[in-house]
Order: sequence, then structure tokens, then C-alpha cells
Amino acid sequence: MMLRGKTAVVTGGGRGIGRAVVEALSGAGARVMTCGRGERPADLPAAIGWVRADMALPEDVERLRAATEADFGPATILVNNAGVQVEKTVTASTDADWALVIGANCRGVFNTCRAFIPGMAGGGAIVNIGSISGNQADPEMALYNASKAFVHGLTRSVAVDHGPAVRCNAISPGWIMTAMADAAFDLARDPAAAQADALARHPAGRFGRPEDIAGAVLWLVSPAAGFVTGQCITVDGGLTAASPLQPGLF
Amino acid sequence: MSGRLAGRIALVTGGRGGIGRAICARFAEEGATVIAADLSETGSVGDAAPGAFQRLDVSSEAEAEAAMAAVAAGHGRLDVLVNAAGIEIEKTIEQTSLEDWNRIFAVNVTGTFLASKHALPLLRRSAAAGGASIVNFGSYDGFIADPGLAAYCATKGAVHALTRAMACDHGPEGIRVNAICPGYVDTPMLQSFFAGEGSGGQGGTVETLEQAVRDVHPLRRYGTPRDMANLVLWLASDEAAYASGQLWVLDGGLSAQVQQMRT
Repeated sequence: MMLRGKTAVVTGGGRGIGRAVVEALSGAGARVMTCGRGERPADLPAAIGWVRADMALPEDVERLRAATEADFGPATILVNNAGVQVEKTVTASTDADWALVIGANCRGVFNTCRAFIPGMAGGGAIVNIGSISGNQADPEMALYNASKAFVHGLTRSVAVDHGPAVRCNAISPGWIMTAMADAAFDLARDPAAAQADALARHPAGRFGRPEDIAGAVLWLVSPAAGFVTGQCITVDGGLTAASPLQPGLF
Repeated sequence: MSGRLAGRIALVTGGRGGIGRAICARFAEEGATVIAADLSETGSVGDAAPGAFQRLDVSSEAEAEAAMAAVAAGHGRLDVLVNAAGIEIEKTIEQTSLEDWNRIFAVNVTGTFLASKHALPLLRRSAAAGGASIVNFGSYDGFIADPGLAAYCATKGAVHALTRAMACDHGPEGIRVNAICPGYVDTPMLQSFFAGEGSGGQGGTVETLEQAVRDVHPLRRYGTPRDMANLVLWLASDEAAYASGQLWVLDGGLSAQVQQMRT
């Protein structure tokens, strides 16, 4: 129970990676507030707080901050997980796509950092969910790829500007089996074959699970990671350690 | 544009190999006096090639000293050293014998060290007269791994680190040091990789494999030796006067992407 007495905020914790992070932090003793654009999920444990909020909107983020403080006290752990993905090239992307992706993935992370950092003067840890796609491009994911590179850059700035009180790191997940990953495989002509091929490219021999990312978050917010700040840690089962060209798979 | 290396003296190790001979040809087109240093007159390709031949086994310190003594005797200085000699062993570490390991390090890493070390006095003379440069051969495999090429990947990572270290040490003397990091280039080494166990060829032919390899590249082809030679030329030329200590990846965009699943 290494997080007993601490208050944590996890954005987008209704499902997927965010939900696994909520459960990991809660399991370690933290009081956890989470949020999403929809109604509170029916299966969210009663002890977890929920605010319906859109991270792209500063007023919603302020409401999240105030509700957290009122219910659980000031947050010293912030996990920026909320994000969206639009599968398009630059020329196919509309202004609405831009507003959606940049609003959630970039402005959202900025909004929460700006809102919660002042409450962390006595110490705090922020973990942002970036992506391997922030370093190398996934095809037809132009705005998403760029938005994650923004997250990596902002992570370093927060660490540099707001240390030593605040530590800020990012995690770059690879292929994690969530609804978002399923949507990406659906782009393939043969989704099953694409999935089998993608699997063969993972030295770990499997795709990631939301718990894999939650485990990394738990470590990054813990005292064990007290000297870790400004880093983007890749958790991808070895995918990006290998060349994109593996003749053995052809 | 021509004459970008007019009047320059250049030595290319592995100068009779697939990429090395393209560098010699490109340098000669731009007015350089080229010395192609290799194990044999025909090298791994097996026909005539531009540049004066100098016998050199880069893993031998005595031969490195002798080659540079010959350059000193013939030209009095050296403006450009290209460390293009390299070999590949298509094995995992478990399959790699200590002899394999020592051999590939002797050529790819020790060879770069020895040729550079013994070229430095000659490069310094050129540096004092305006500038000198070394171009090493790293690889995109020094950043991300191809399966079954463990020792090769390790040697290229070593070359990358050595490149930065040499640039730091010798930049103040006016000697620039860079590495070019090729991806897939059409050479005897690549054809051997396609044909060998490294390809793991699953039922296809070399041709179907080659097409599949092209399709994974954003530019839909793999590189030519001349593509590599064009970057080496730029790094060796005065146009690159402020370029040093860098690892220049030239791979048709291959490593810009996340692994590409078959769709």
C-alpha cells in the first residue's frame, strides 16, 4: 500500500489503459479520481471518483481539479491518459479532426498540467501517456503521431521547469490490446493475418495488456522512481528494438 | 556540379567492395585522387574499378601503417578517409563463435580504429591547410536490430560511439568525423543476406523477397551504392564544413516508421 494517503487523478480512466491505471493506483492505496466525456461506467468501483469532463476544455479541467480537492484532497499524482486517435493522413484530415485530436491529446495534457502543478508544491508525480508513434510514424495516423510527439516534448519541459517538486515522465506504449488497437487492425485488408504478423514482430511474443502500462505508471509514481524525471519510457514488448524490415516474416 | 573534391586525396577502405567502389567512382568524378584500399584488386565484386589500388587488410596494424606510409610517400597528405571496409555475420550470439566475434570486430571496429589512427598524421597536414574529414560506416542496425545479425549490430553501435568520440577529440584540429548509417543497399553483402539463412526465406524466391523488402520502404525501393556514395561525397566535401560527430541515416525512410504489419 505504498500510495496510502495520496490522491491521484487519472484522465480517461473509464476503460482500457486508463482503467487499468485507476485500478493499480487504487490497489496501491491511493484515493483515485478519474474522468471521461461520458457517464460514469457502471462497473467502476464505488471508491473511485468520477467527473464527466472533456480535457480539451479548461473549464472542465478546473471542475475536475476542484472536485478532486473537495472529495479527496489535493492531487499529488496525475496520470494523463485520455486520448483519441483519428486514422487519416494530413490531406484527409479535417478541421474537426484537428480539433478533436489536438484538443484531447495536446491541449488536454497542457490543461491538466497547468491546473494540477500548483497543488504539487510539496511534491508530485505526473505520468503522461505518449506513444511509440511519437518517435516513429504509423501510417495514416498523422495527427495522432504528431500529438504524441507533443506529449513527449511537454513531458521534458514540465520536468525541467517544475522540478524538483514535480517529477514528470511519459510512457510510450506499443501495441496494447484495447478498442483503439482493434480499430487500427480493422484498417488491414485481412485483420487476422495482420494481427498474426504484428505478433511475430514482438520479441516478448505477445501484445501488451493495459496492466503492463499500469505497472509502469505505478513504478514511475512510486518512491522507487524518485530520481527518474523527464524521460519517455517505451513499454512495447521489444517492438521498436527490431527493424521494421524482417525478411524472415515475408 | 562537379569538381567538389578537386585536388583532394582520398583513401577508401573496402574500396573494391559494393559501396566502396561506388564511392571511389563518385569521388573520381568530382576530381579527387582516389586510393581504393582493399584485400584484393577486384574485391568482393570481381571486376575492374576506379582508383589506384592499395592492398590493405584493415585488421592488421602493420598493413594500416604500410598503406598510410604509401599515401605519405605518394601524396604527402590525406584529405579524406572513408572507412567503408566491413563484413557481416548472419548469426545470433548463440550461433556466433568467439572466432566469428573477434573476426567481425577486427574488421568493422578495429579496422576503423587502425585506419583512422594511422591516417591522423596525414589528415592533420590537410587540416592545417583547410580541412580534413573521416567518414565511417555505421548502419541503421546500430540503432535497431535485424534478427540474426547480433555481432554485426554490435560492431555498428561501436562505430557510432567511436565516430562521436573521434569527432570530439579531433574536431579542434580541423578534422571532421561523421558516420553514414545505411539501411538496405543493393550490394553483394545484401544478396548474401537474401540468399542466406538470415533471410529465413519462407517459401518465396529471392525475387519475391526483394519485392517484399522494397514494399516495406516508404520510398518503395532499397538503396543503391551510388545513393550511399552521394552522401559520403557531401560529408567529405566543403559543403559539409560544419557537419561533425553525427550519424547520418540513409535508409529510404525505413526506420522512420513503426514496424509495418502485412495488410
